[in-house]
Amino acid sequence: MSTRGTAFAETMLGTLLLPGKTEPRRVRLDLTVRAEQVLAPHRTTNARVSGRVRIQGLADDPDATGEMEISPIARRRILYRVRFTAAGRRHLLMGWKSVSLRRPLTSMTVLPYGVYVDGQQVGHGTLRFPLASRLVPFLRSWRFPRQESPSAYAARWDGSPGRTEVWYTTLTDPVTGTGVWLHHELTAPTGGSPAYAHGWVAVFPPDGPVEHARFGPEPWSDPSQGFTAAGTEVRPDRLRGTAGEFRWDLEQDPLGQPLYTFPRWAWQRSVLPAAHMLPSSGSHFSGAVSHPGGRLSLHKAPGATARIYGHGNARRWAWLHADLGGGDVLEVVAAVATRPGLNRLPPLVFLRLRHRDRTWPRLGLRSAVGWAGAGRFRARIGLPVWSVTGRAGLRRIRVTVAQPEERTLTLDYADPDGSGPVCRNSESADAHIVLERWWGRWRPEARWTLEGTAHAEVGER
Amino acid sequence: MSRSLRGLTAALLADDGSEHWPTAVPHRLESLLATIPRPARAGIRCAAAAVDVYAALRTGARLDRLTPGERDEVLASLAARPALLPVLDALKVPVLLAGATERMLQRDPRPAAAPPASDDPPLDCVSSSQWPDRSTADAVVVGSGAGGAIAARTLARAGLRVVVLEEGRRHTTADFARRLPLDRFAELYRDGGATMMIGRPPVLLPTARAVGGTTVVNAGTCYRTPHRVLARWRDVHGVGLADPAVFAAHLDNVEHTLGVAPQPLDVLGRNGLLALHGAGSLGWRATPLRRNAPGCKGSCQCVVGCPTGAKHSVQLSVLPDACSAGARIVTSARARLVLVDPDRPGGPRAAGIAAARPDGSRFEILSPMVVVAAGALQSPLLLRRSGLAGHPGIGRNLAVHPATSIAGRFPDTVHDGPAVLQSAAVEELHDDGILIEATAPPPGMSSFVLPGVGRQLRAGLEEGERLATLGAMIADRPGGRVLGTRRPVLRYDLDPVDGASLVRAVAAMGAVLFAAGAEEVLTGVPHTPTVRSTDELHRALSNVTPRQLHLSAFHPTGTIAMGTNDQKAPADPRGWLRGVRGVLVADGSALPSCPEVNPQLTIMAVALAVSCAAAGSV
Repeated sequence: MSTRGTAFAETMLGTLLLPGKTEPRRVRLDLTVRAEQVLAPHRTTNARVSGRVRIQGLADDPDATGEMEISPIARRRILYRVRFTAAGRRHLLMGWKSVSLRRPLTSMTVLPYGVYVDGQQVGHGTLRFPLASRLVPFLRSWRFPRQESPSAYAARWDGSPGRTEVWYTTLTDPVTGTGVWLHHELTAPTGGSPAYAHGWVAVFPPDGPVEHARFGPEPWSDPSQGFTAAGTEVRPDRLRGTAGEFRWDLEQDPLGQPLYTFPRWAWQRSVLPAAHMLPSSGSHFSGAVSHPGGRLSLHKAPGATARIYGHGNARRWAWLHADLGGGDVLEVVAAVATRPGLNRLPPLVFLRLRHRDRTWPRLGLRSAVGWAGAGRFRARIGLPVWSVTGRAGLRRIRVTVAQPEERTLTLDYADPDGSGPVCRNSESADAHIVLERWWGRWRPEARWTLEGTAHAEVGER
Repeated sequence: MSRSLRGLTAALLADDGSEHWPTAVPHRLESLLATIPRPARAGIRCAAAAVDVYAALRTGARLDRLTPGERDEVLASLAARPALLPVLDALKVPVLLAGATERMLQRDPRPAAAPPASDDPPLDCVSSSQWPDRSTADAVVVGSGAGGAIAARTLARAGLRVVVLEEGRRHTTADFARRLPLDRFAELYRDGGATMMIGRPPVLLPTARAVGGTTVVNAGTCYRTPHRVLARWRDVHGVGLADPAVFAAHLDNVEHTLGVAPQPLDVLGRNGLLALHGAGSLGWRATPLRRNAPGCKGSCQCVVGCPTGAKHSVQLSVLPDACSAGARIVTSARARLVLVDPDRPGGPRAAGIAAARPDGSRFEILSPMVVVAAGALQSPLLLRRSGLAGHPGIGRNLAVHPATSIAGRFPDTVHDGPAVLQSAAVEELHDDGILIEATAPPPGMSSFVLPGVGRQLRAGLEEGERLATLGAMIADRPGGRVLGTRRPVLRYDLDPVDGASLVRAVAAMGAVLFAAGAEEVLTGVPHTPTVRSTDELHRALSNVTPRQLHLSAFHPTGTIAMGTNDQKAPADPRGWLRGVRGVLVADGSALPSCPEVNPQLTIMAVALAVSCAAAGSV
């Protein structure tokens, strides 16, 4: 599937003739067209349409929606199907440009159409693309934005043995400062045994001991969308489940664009031992989490759901998710792989800072490998404090994470090969982040201090 | 009006000024020529000019300046050259059409046909000028003839939104009653009836263009498909729907729809009675034809549209049912292309139809199913224009019924009182592929051409009331081709065996006419135009070749034949066109071979079978 889509805006003007009327009404169509693939003229592209339909004396609907079938060469047709409301009734405007090689300009700019109500035609007319006035805006409107897969929540596992797939969510209750960790994992053992689903839930009260409970394992039932096993469920819009005395039911409201901690291609093509990404750089969670120590009522609690897919856990790693406020997010994974050769390298740092709607460093591998190793970001993995530093372009960053032992949960992980690293996780960690920019000298650009709201983890074997 | 044509008309009809009607013939001829294809028109004009030049060279004056006697001499000298006789015959046909009409108008006391008792059943017809440029349907049927009408009715009854495209326009029974036969002829027939098959010999193949297709202008003869034909289609071509037991139900359905019944003798007409009498005298099998005109009043104008509405053409019988089930008919709409989506999963698929209005503007109808029913001559062209003629069998396998006719002159008037145009059949030789039918079309519209020129031709015209006409059609060996993309270019060579059958048919028809009491038989053979006995006829035919006969052809079929052999048959045994999904062939094109009888029932039953199966699979 194409990783880029197509978007453009189109305006057409014309007339509509209603039955029994001799005077045509003027019509204007302002459409924004979005396709999930790059528009190639030799093939058929289906696109979604939204925009405004104005018909003189009849309709002015700014929320018109519909579809387009764009196939100027293969089917020699560009079909429009736009639904709009007029006089309280839903209307359908449908027509198509019939592309002719003999008359390319006319056939690509003239749209004969009909208007239908309940399947019955109530009018017809012709719309034209005004070349003189709209061609330049039309051409300038073309974009090829990156497309995400239909759902990053869908299971990636293809049935191969020796795979691990994780859906995990971390959040912080802004009212109580309590951290929550929901971990859902699919493990396909290396030996070819049936895959199983398991996971755990943990609550990190600011003033109390960390509580957790496991669920599963139970055989994997291969749901098509998200994780559904062992009485728990992860969907793009909802998380719910039970584990021991824990019970949770949360609505998830994604806030940002996906954030690929590892390069996008690493996630899409599974070429690295494992890859990590966030379907949305941040989410708000609303709902309730019941735990042995009480009940959390959450309303727009900040957090994020992350996805991992790969061959297993790293040899040694550190992870940080820091919600910096205002939509800014820092995601860090520093890891040493288990594969021979790679395990001799220092920790590879995958650092992604979403700041002011831009992601830094711009290239996904920049922080991990630098320029053939030079200029790579460096990590000092330890406990209770670990840090990451690095420089890319005119910016440099210094991240220091503290995981106090009393706010840290120690858990055994299970790899597909049966080995088990130990993970120390805190959803109420502290973090101090300094971002500087070179301007004759290094000048502070931003500084964030998170006290008890950072989500972090260190694992080792 | 060119002087050459005026002079030629006066010469051919021996216009001596004694009567007024010949003077009106040139104008009627001119309007008739305007309807025929440009090459044919140019050919006639050139031939007329050539005759005029010959007259000028021979006499020093052009034909229209000569006296009647001088004109007769000029034509006689031309007719004395056997090589020129076919040219003169080609010139005589339109002149006789126009002349017979004018003569009928000014001399024939027969009253005009009575107006129909009631209006035609309602049709949901929309002129293409009123049809929107863009629309959708569940099925588009191209052609409203025998096959298209049944397919439209079947699909509409199955709940599909059906649109029927028809290149011609709707003609009502009231229109037919109001207008002259020749005017209707020029409008109803494609190319003014002058569609020609190129070959040895060239043969006329008239087809119609109107809502109802050729059923508007056929004789209403409704033969059930012979068992041997169905068995051949099933066993040789693998067309399962042609199994006689299964196909009988479809034939019954169609017969019931059309009200098919044997023609009662009371309005049969003397032409048919003479044929029955002659065959009876010979001990041959003969019977009144089964027709779809239960209340036939004997107007004898079937071939230019029944003026009383008695003939149940499909626009009066099937299309009203289709429209009441929701089908809509777009008239004056010529299908340009079958729209095809080549990139559909699973291969190319029909997406609809692009059509043109008479003014050249275009419109399109999107539909996942396209029923091709434009007739055996037009359907291959539509597929070719659409890029769907990749199968080598498309346009080939053209089967027709080559036909010839002769006339017998009787002592008394034959054309007196009501008569059925095609009334009785002599089936004695039908097993040999020869079907003789008593056929008496309106004046000048017969495929029989009166012999002679000038005074002889005029005399023949004056005595036309005493002529009884028989026609014979041959079950041919399919070998024709439909070429071209915009206009059909027809290539057809008469098989020698079929040619021999035609000569044999002429002999048989002559025998029937003499047995019925004919004084003489007009053979149509140039060197022996009349004979007065059976022996004389046999002697005349002993050295006749089929090329010397006046041939015409009817009932084109088989150009997109169904069959299991995907190398030979462009359509599969269920009527679906190979190589693309969603294109159903439901007209005479789909017949695997010559049906050996007048094909209306066969075409309708095949269309019913394939469209029923298609409706079930939608």
